Amino acid sequence: MEQGARLPHYVSDAPFDPYSIETLTPEQERFFLASQWRMMWWRFKRHRLAVGAGLLLLGFYLAIVVSEFLAPYNLHSRHNRYIYAPPQQIHLYRNGKLQRPFVYGYRLHLNLDTMKREYTENTRKIFPVRFLCAGEGYRLWGLFKGNLHLVCPSRRGTLFLLGTDRLGRDVLSRIIYGARISLTVGLVGIGVSFLVGLILGGLAGYYSGWVDSLVQRLIEILRSFPELPLWMALSAALPVDWSPIGVFFGITLILGLLDWTGLARAVRSKLLALREEDFTTAAILMGARPSRVIARHLIPNFMSHIIASATLSIPSMILGETALSFLGLGLRPPITSWGVLLTEAQNMNAVALYPWLMLPVVPVIIVVLAFNFLGDGLRDAADPYKA
Amino acid sequence: MRWTRTLALACTLGLLSAGASGAAWKEAPMLAARAAKGEIPPVGERLPAHPRVIDVAKMGREPGRYGGDLRVLMARSKDTRIMVVYGYARLVVYDTNYKLIPDILESVDVRQGRIFTFKLRAGHRWSDGHPFTTEDFRYYWEDIANNKDLAPFGPPQILLVDGKAPRFEVLDERTVRYTWVKPNPFFLPALAGARPQPIFAPAHYLKQFHARYTDPAKLAALAKEEGQRNWAAVHIRRFRPYKNNNPDLPSLQPWINTTFPPAQRFVFVRNPYFHRVDERGRQLPYIDRVLMNIADGKLIAAKSGAGESDLQARNLSFNDYAFLRQNTEWVGIRVLLWKTTKGAHLALYPNLNVSDPQLRRLARDVRFRRALSLAIDRDEINDVIYFGLAQPGNDTVVAGGPLYKPEYQHKWAEFDLDRANRLLDEVGLKKRDDDGVRLLPDGRPLSIIVETAGEDTEQTDVLELIADSWIRAGIKLFSKPLQREVFRNRIYSGQTFMSIWGGLENGLPTADMIPHELAPTAQDQLQWPKWGQYAETGGHAGEAPDLPAAQELARLNAQWTASSDHSTREKIWERMLTIRMNRMYTIGLISGVPQPVVISKRLHNVPEKGIYNWDPGAHFGVYMPDTFWLAAH
Amino acid sequence: MLRYLVHRILVMIPTLFVISALVFIIIQLPEGDYLTSRITELQAQGEKISHEKIAFLRQQYGLDKPPLQQYAHWVIGMLHGDLGYSFEYNLPVNEVVGDRLFLSFVLSFSTIVFTWAVSFPIGIYSATHQYSWGDHGLTFIGFLGLATPNFLLALVLLYFANVAFGTSIGGLMDPQYLDQPMSWAKFGSVLAHLWIPVIVIGTSGTAGMIRRLRANLLDELEKQYVVTAHAKGLPPGRALLKYPLRMALNPFIADIGSLLPQVISGAAIVSIVLSLPTTGPMLVHALQSQDTFLAGSFLMFLAFLTVVGMFVSDIALAMLDPRIRLAGGIRR
Repeated sequence: MEQGARLPHYVSDAPFDPYSIETLTPEQERFFLASQWRMMWWRFKRHRLAVGAGLLLLGFYLAIVVSEFLAPYNLHSRHNRYIYAPPQQIHLYRNGKLQRPFVYGYRLHLNLDTMKREYTENTRKIFPVRFLCAGEGYRLWGLFKGNLHLVCPSRRGTLFLLGTDRLGRDVLSRIIYGARISLTVGLVGIGVSFLVGLILGGLAGYYSGWVDSLVQRLIEILRSFPELPLWMALSAALPVDWSPIGVFFGITLILGLLDWTGLARAVRSKLLALREEDFTTAAILMGARPSRVIARHLIPNFMSHIIASATLSIPSMILGETALSFLGLGLRPPITSWGVLLTEAQNMNAVALYPWLMLPVVPVIIVVLAFNFLGDGLRDAADPYKA
Repeated sequence: MRWTRTLALACTLGLLSAGASGAAWKEAPMLAARAAKGEIPPVGERLPAHPRVIDVAKMGREPGRYGGDLRVLMARSKDTRIMVVYGYARLVVYDTNYKLIPDILESVDVRQGRIFTFKLRAGHRWSDGHPFTTEDFRYYWEDIANNKDLAPFGPPQILLVDGKAPRFEVLDERTVRYTWVKPNPFFLPALAGARPQPIFAPAHYLKQFHARYTDPAKLAALAKEEGQRNWAAVHIRRFRPYKNNNPDLPSLQPWINTTFPPAQRFVFVRNPYFHRVDERGRQLPYIDRVLMNIADGKLIAAKSGAGESDLQARNLSFNDYAFLRQNTEWVGIRVLLWKTTKGAHLALYPNLNVSDPQLRRLARDVRFRRALSLAIDRDEINDVIYFGLAQPGNDTVVAGGPLYKPEYQHKWAEFDLDRANRLLDEVGLKKRDDDGVRLLPDGRPLSIIVETAGEDTEQTDVLELIADSWIRAGIKLFSKPLQREVFRNRIYSGQTFMSIWGGLENGLPTADMIPHELAPTAQDQLQWPKWGQYAETGGHAGEAPDLPAAQELARLNAQWTASSDHSTREKIWERMLTIRMNRMYTIGLISGVPQPVVISKRLHNVPEKGIYNWDPGAHFGVYMPDTFWLAAH
Repeated sequence: MLRYLVHRILVMIPTLFVISALVFIIIQLPEGDYLTSRITELQAQGEKISHEKIAFLRQQYGLDKPPLQQYAHWVIGMLHGDLGYSFEYNLPVNEVVGDRLFLSFVLSFSTIVFTWAVSFPIGIYSATHQYSWGDHGLTFIGFLGLATPNFLLALVLLYFANVAFGTSIGGLMDPQYLDQPMSWAKFGSVLAHLWIPVIVIGTSGTAGMIRRLRANLLDELEKQYVVTAHAKGLPPGRALLKYPLRMALNPFIADIGSLLPQVISGAAIVSIVLSLPTTGPMLVHALQSQDTFLAGSFLMFLAFLTVVGMFVSDIALAMLDPRIRLAGGIRR
């Protein structure tokens, strides 16, 4: 290169404020300084439906803590004179005047020709609904005695808002108690699934090689199996002398063990991608042990995705429990879950003559939809750094 | 002996009436057409010389019209056997009073309860036209029951007395005789059963599959072709008269299966050589075909309610009545309610052979069993679940039978909590825990787990009602639903303390029926499986009964088998029923639960009120579906 | 590419063996065997069966041999094309299955077609009109199908069809057409019965498909080339369908393999409720009664179909997406 004259430099000595060119507005500052979880929350809030679903589910889970309080009747209380009684409507007006909410009594006619119990509204019997009242005695969680209810029937009357079943048990109360089992199955099942998926997927993704191959083959084998035979075989293999609670946990274990493949694959692919990232290499070069690398650097990066996937799997657990009950393999009476209630309604008598027995399908639908929307919202918010 | 006299009388009457109607037999148009074409011989040659005459008018029924297709619904393709049950053509049958009369046989002669001489009807033919002779009996006895390949363990149990086979003789081409050393009271009931014991087989058809009559090499090739192990398997596969799944097998039933499995619809066509006629000389059955559709068991009630079946009782239960009844107006069906006559529709079985020593001590204490029974509110069960239409009471003979006494049904079956509590205190269960549940001597709370194998909710519902009344006597009840195999195996091995199941199979016995259900005779008796097993295996397995009452029942059962006069047998029955009443070995709940029967409006001659029982009764068998007929559309 | 193919084929074989062992274990897992369930069934009906008869039957059915020998016998049979013998039906397995396979296929095929036909337009609409009322509304309807338990929905539709249209309850056609040759009337009857299972099973699948299509399409629409296409004036329809949609379809092709067991499994419960003569109820009954060969061979057949299906879909994906071919591996 030709040697030329020195180029003129100019460096100013004047004091210089680096932030004078580009200042962050308070908005932007908030944005750039916010932590990852913060940003996720903001993105999540935008998805109104998901927020609503989340609140609803929170309400449901809080409700199952106090099922005994919310339900007008106990789980097993029967009423011999009100078998297959249709739902009672709550009325507010009587003779045009606003009143305390009340229900009308039943008039029962036993038709021995058609073998039906015929109920009509008896407008002469008025039973006001009581709130925050002392009703049937119960044991909260089987431990603490109490008798405070949110709503109860009047002392000599009945309050069957969703009708009764073949033993005269209140359908609404059974749905409320059934929520306890069904919602818990979802959570515990997903817990099992989560654990297994995380461990196996993590091992496959981090160590690669033959571990990866093995886990992949395992996943492939499990996925090529139709679910039904696996369910049937595992349920049939549950020891017979387990208590009902034991059977319950056995069922959730089975549901969880058959569901981890999706999660494991997601974990694995994320780990494979993240392993190549610069920050991982940096951490390893700086001497971090594998456990620290995984825990401190890798996991936080994909945890949000995994949580979203997990949330989206809960509905299949709940529906799986109903399917198992239908096949006679899952929970059976006297344990009451929504699946058990639906199985009891699974006959022509319920569809044709006593349709209110099918009402447990409504909370199932609501909860499944809610989890789906929540999961969608979480997934959209899972990567807040995406545009 | 009463036996022989009744039978001889019946035969004479049959012969007389046959002679009375003369030889002008009439047949169904469908068969007349075939006879005209020469495919089958004319009706005079198809019927035996003296067919069995069914006096339809005398039974209070209308003589029928030929023709029509009867649709029935079944839950499994195995249920082709039900047409053998409904057809109910047997060597001897039960009539509607549960007396044994000859049907396929022209006459039965019984001497000393151990020598049975059977006479066939002359000219009786199989469904393919080949003559039905004593050769068929011989073939069964020598070439099936005593053939070491087809029956490696010997002839069927029911044909053995004290382990010894009878002497079988062919007296002439229409007469055979079976002679035992000791009386065999099981023989005729087994022949008349819903599931009959075969003692004859179509020799002309089966010989081609038997190594004694056909070249073994050909048979081996055939076996290989069909994927069977050996010729014996081929023969067994062909000869399953009860299973009724081989359309090529000649039969004597009124309708013959013409569809090879697997299929969703089986078509049964009338047997041109059926041996019964009505009093006007018209060959039975009236109905041309029976169409059996296979559908899922849970949908059969719905399908019946939609009018898809012309004659249905299987897979229908009392719960379905309201639904079925509601549809009768616009669907063209009628719903009848027949009686069931099991000793109890449901009964509790405390397991006297349970392994746990404390529980066994309780189970063996009659005061405990009586207390359990007194603490059950049977009227509530009846009202809540059976609309008040069943009979609350013990698991014993039902009202209407000759051996019935009211105290058998009601003793210890009242709802009396005070007495129950007192008895339980006496037994030594005085101490209770904080919830009022009684404690066993070792401190455990007395919680009884009742195991059920029920597919639907009926049994768990009943148990829930019982639980609510038992808790007032200080007993906690848990119901535990199980799969059927597991259910039975646990009882047999002593792991189960109490189970729930149906009661006595035959609730309307006469003194001439064997009282084997009342004594420890079989392993499948859920209250004493090991004692029953001991009797069944001749002492090789199980345990001998060690309670005096049970031992006496076993003794009485043996005495009955050895006795032969009616009044001794009656006294034995009475004694056994009294012991049963006092000892409460099974705790009956309700009996007489009505059975819905759906029939098409066009179907005639089905009794309005009938008894729906498996054995004796063969469900519809005793009412002779071959005399049912369909009106034109 | 060839190396990849060979490698995949070689891996399939041990997979199938492991699956066969698993299947066998699963069938034998519950206590007892076919005979014990048969015996208890007979006893439940009040029929007696003597010990000698039991021993004789056990020998006849080959159930007296040790499990390992039974397994070997079965696998060797399958390799020769002999699927074994069904205890319950007393027929070779191919006859029992073959009868029902055609109808199963018809049902599965119709369901898949229905699912795709419904979810495609909805998915595309949802992706292009994100967060609009239409998006929320249609997704909600899609999810409703997923959320409702199939068995109850099937029963309700069954009753409704009978009351409203007079359709006979259950089955794939009216009983009188069962043995008759195909005719327009028979075809119409089949359609009248088929819509119920197709809708019930199909709606549970549409939600998942809508969601996946929507997500994938959204991902693609963010990409640079779409912006370029719009900037360069490509009509919006073509910009959507010709390029992003093709890319969004990748996971669908990849999923064809796993579609089959899902559809067959989902169809099993509905088929039981509706009493359809398909393979689902047959499989469930075979498992319950431990009809070893019928259940085992059929499950192996399904597993084989799935494994082959996954293989085929991998090939199809490789052909569809040149990046995979050239990069030499699948990026899942």
